[in-house]
Amino acid sequence: MTVPIWHELMLNPLAAFGILLALGVIGGQIAVRVARLPAITGYIVTGLIIGPYSLNLLNQQLLNEASIFVQLALGIALFEAGRRVDLRWLRVEKTLLATALLYCLLVFAALYALLNGSGFGAPASLMLAALGMATSPIVVLEIVRESRADGQVSERLLTATALSSVLAMIGFALALSYSHLSANHTVEEGILLPGWLILGSVALGLAAGLVTTLLNRWLGGHQREAQRVLLFGLIALVVGLADMLALLALLALLVAGMSTRTLRHGYTVSEPGILSLNHVFTVAFFVAAGAYLSPQALASHWQLALLCLLLRGGIGMLVWWLAARANGLSRKQGALLGLALSPLNSGSALLLGLGMVSLGTAATSFSAALMAALMINEIAAPFLTRLALRLAGETAGASHA
Amino acid sequence: MLEFSQSQPLTLGVELELMILNRRDYNLTRGSDDLLLQINRKPHGFDIKPEITQGMIEIGTAVHSDVNAMLEELLAIRKLLVDGAHKLNLGLAGGGAHPFQHWDDQRIYPKERYQLVSELYGYLAKQFTVYGQHIHIGCPDGDAAVRLTHYLARYIPHFIALSASSPFYQGVDTSFQTSRLTSVNAFPLSGCMPLVDSWQAFNGYFERMESLRIVASMKDFYWDIRPKPEYGTVEIRICDTPLSIETPVLLAAYAQMLARRCFAEEWSDISAEPYLTYSYNRFQACRFGFDGVLVDARSNQQQGLQEDLLETLRALEPHAEALNSQSQLAALRQRALKCHSDSRWLRQIHEQSGSLNEVVRRQSEHWMYAPAGVGVN
Repeated sequence: MTVPIWHELMLNPLAAFGILLALGVIGGQIAVRVARLPAITGYIVTGLIIGPYSLNLLNQQLLNEASIFVQLALGIALFEAGRRVDLRWLRVEKTLLATALLYCLLVFAALYALLNGSGFGAPASLMLAALGMATSPIVVLEIVRESRADGQVSERLLTATALSSVLAMIGFALALSYSHLSANHTVEEGILLPGWLILGSVALGLAAGLVTTLLNRWLGGHQREAQRVLLFGLIALVVGLADMLALLALLALLVAGMSTRTLRHGYTVSEPGILSLNHVFTVAFFVAAGAYLSPQALASHWQLALLCLLLRGGIGMLVWWLAARANGLSRKQGALLGLALSPLNSGSALLLGLGMVSLGTAATSFSAALMAALMINEIAAPFLTRLALRLAGETAGASHA
Repeated sequence: MLEFSQSQPLTLGVELELMILNRRDYNLTRGSDDLLLQINRKPHGFDIKPEITQGMIEIGTAVHSDVNAMLEELLAIRKLLVDGAHKLNLGLAGGGAHPFQHWDDQRIYPKERYQLVSELYGYLAKQFTVYGQHIHIGCPDGDAAVRLTHYLARYIPHFIALSASSPFYQGVDTSFQTSRLTSVNAFPLSGCMPLVDSWQAFNGYFERMESLRIVASMKDFYWDIRPKPEYGTVEIRICDTPLSIETPVLLAAYAQMLARRCFAEEWSDISAEPYLTYSYNRFQACRFGFDGVLVDARSNQQQGLQEDLLETLRALEPHAEALNSQSQLAALRQRALKCHSDSRWLRQIHEQSGSLNEVVRRQSEHWMYAPAGVGVN
């Protein structure tokens, strides 16, 4: 037997996952203790430093191999985000639904106008504007968990976040359809693909929600541990099936979460407690998200990215401020809710591949613009969300709003 | 010197502390401020205020002579609260303690008195996230209030058994019918009023405690029953908040009948003897409810709580007639005969569903929507 020499050593996926977690935790703690920032910021910066675009401790191949953990983290967060949407409440509290829709619509229109005016072309602008509507469920949930936020602003924030993600994915699929059609691709690619993406994902989510509810009911509340493992298994199954069937796992899991909240006997899934198991995956998710970020993308698009983010944040604060009273909030709470919606959905990066196919030469700038926006947003937005919840008096130990 | 305000004898008022819940997993949520902001947008004239932690809210009725009018007012308050709660997707519920909340998650309401209580009592303040019903009975003067306080001490186990609705605490079945009172016991000034026999003697005791800088006001006493000089009442604080909207009225009617008998018979037999067994009897009621056994130190006899309650109700019939509370007396008798209690109902739901979330969901649905008169059984 020969002992391998240092330069021949190759990290395997398990070692990569270990590095991801260990360095992520250290980075998170430095952020919390030294800079008093959310741990998420530390995870992302750690990823950025060790990722393929910087030190390359984690190369692209290892990142791809660790992607299963990332997808699981995102899947669990989306399921949980879906469970935060109470359709019965939205039927009563139409103002919340209307405000969330108006916010998304205005963000979409403003981003489209800005991007199209900047020469991106209609298909790429439509796709980016659609992705820009979505607030990141995983960031918002993690900040809410970390700061133990609780109250009307947090509740409405989580509902608006989940709704924005649903709208963004539907909007993206429609923009994709337009893009294919305008690129003279086949009708199948132009209509059937987006249709399959939306309807297939929704159907998968509904089926998963139904099965989850039925099985949880069958197990009964006395089998809490079994329920938890079952839920974890079903979420993993949905992620896997969506991948096999070329569907949007993100949309399917949101719908699954929403349906378990809404279906008859959905209360049997009332306390999954799965998020506590999820923390390992969450750390991995954010470090990986940081590793995917490319600082080089900033060079060409930082001004546009910054403008997009400011526009998005400004619209959020204005819309929710105007609708605050109707939402049962004070004006200050309304504006803070708009600010708390800042985190862009980094899961959008997973949709990049779908968009690139139809965009041809515009694909490079499409990708760079999205990465530039994500780069700025992922570092700044967790702090802004936590700040907003703290100023709203909803975090543990916060001063009163 | 504490001044005892005069009030119309036998008038009544009740205060109820209620849980504020999220409607996702039915844990307590920080909702008191949001709910108050919502319902106070239009003037309503009801007494609704925050409590020590932000997952609680307290409602109080006006002063009533007739318990039926009290029920009407409670129903109107419930409607106002439920409308506000719908807007905010909050649940409201009765019950003496939330079955699975963690005390450390609770947040002290930012009001000076509550902050002071929190500083003095540390974790006890957050553990005080328990929910009780307080009953105020009008008294003509301070001496009558002292007498009535001692008189009612004998019947405290009845109130405990009739209102018990907190069998679960911190996620487990405590095997008690009410676990709430254990949280109250932890306070140094809990228990019962000392053996003073007049308002003047009470003032002497209060001034001594004040000079020792142990208390600053009557609010610092966490007794099961205490005189409330500023209202001119005696306040019974032993009851868990019941699960139904009408049970508080039954309990108030029972207190009114007992008070009427105390005043009518000019009772003044104040002695140390009943207090020998006070804590033991109280424990029996908390642990076993209607199945508890009460010890009478004077007669050296033991008697089942249910039997003792039924005998007392029988003796109160003329007073119920005089107060036009016969239907309330009959309802109380039915509860005692059938050993119906909120705790039993909660345990049944838990047995069927295996889920404490489901237990709270059902108790919230019941408090918010069940028509008066349905009960939980």
